Amino acid sequence: MAVSEAIPTTKRPAWLFWSLVTIALWGTWGLVSKIASSGMNAYVNQLLYTAGLAPLLAFVAWHVRRNEKNKKTDGRVAGVGWAFLTGILGGVGNIFFFQALVKGGEASVVAPVTALFPMVTVLLAVIVLRERMGRAQWIGLALAFVAIYLLSA
Amino acid sequence: MHLWLGFAILALVLWGITGVTQKLSTNRISSERSFLWFCWAMVALSAAVLPFAGRNWTLGALVVVCSIAGGALNGLGAWTSFRALESGGKASIVISLISLYPLLTVVLAVILLGERLSWMQILGAFAAIAAAILLSLEEAPKAEPQ
Repeated sequence: MAVSEAIPTTKRPAWLFWSLVTIALWGTWGLVSKIASSGMNAYVNQLLYTAGLAPLLAFVAWHVRRNEKNKKTDGRVAGVGWAFLTGILGGVGNIFFFQALVKGGEASVVAPVTALFPMVTVLLAVIVLRERMGRAQWIGLALAFVAIYLLSA
Repeated sequence: MHLWLGFAILALVLWGITGVTQKLSTNRISSERSFLWFCWAMVALSAAVLPFAGRNWTLGALVVVCSIAGGALNGLGAWTSFRALESGGKASIVISLISLYPLLTVVLAVILLGERLSWMQILGAFAAIAAAILLSLEEAPKAEPQ
């Protein structure tokens, strides 16, 4: 048996690669948002942010048009409505995020505070979607409040 | 309470709500179509806030580039996070791992922007990241009684 066959090659999974790329992209977003906030108001920042999103919008629109031409449309209107609402809430959230940076919040503090948004999602999932919270999530929720207190100190 | 903290908490609440609305959307349509309509909503919102943006824009090249790059980075990040989930990664692991992104922001802000954190804030940053990871963990299903 050849040595190369005896030793299995360890291939890094694709999900790990994409997760690390996501960390790099979102981690850098926090930094560039702070730099941008030093020279413009939150509304202008949101406008230019959307301009940055435009090429991706065009690509995804093309991709959806190509791949989902003949797919069934059951529940599409409601799904689109929820997606649109997600965009509006996300965008207004962005404006508040930019305002936090404009009003003197440091990127190294504002980014960890706003990254605690899953605490609201988890609570709403329990109330609205009737999902159950595990022990880890309860601990996470308590820790989130402690984190906000420490970061604002 | 600091004014910036109030805005940060408002962002946190709104982004938190999107976690639920996004789920309600992707239960009905594909994640790509959902993302597309998310982007269209961003365009609509930007049109709506245009009157508030003011008229006298004297913007430096660096801040303009950073702002546009912000939209591209955040949008691409959303896309790569979908790719991570579609590549077979368990949601609880992928989302926990992705929750580490503020750590990179902290490191970059300290190195490149010269920001300084107190010991309390360093502790808080780690607590926030640990909290985000714990919140993203899914409870293992309980075994059915025989």
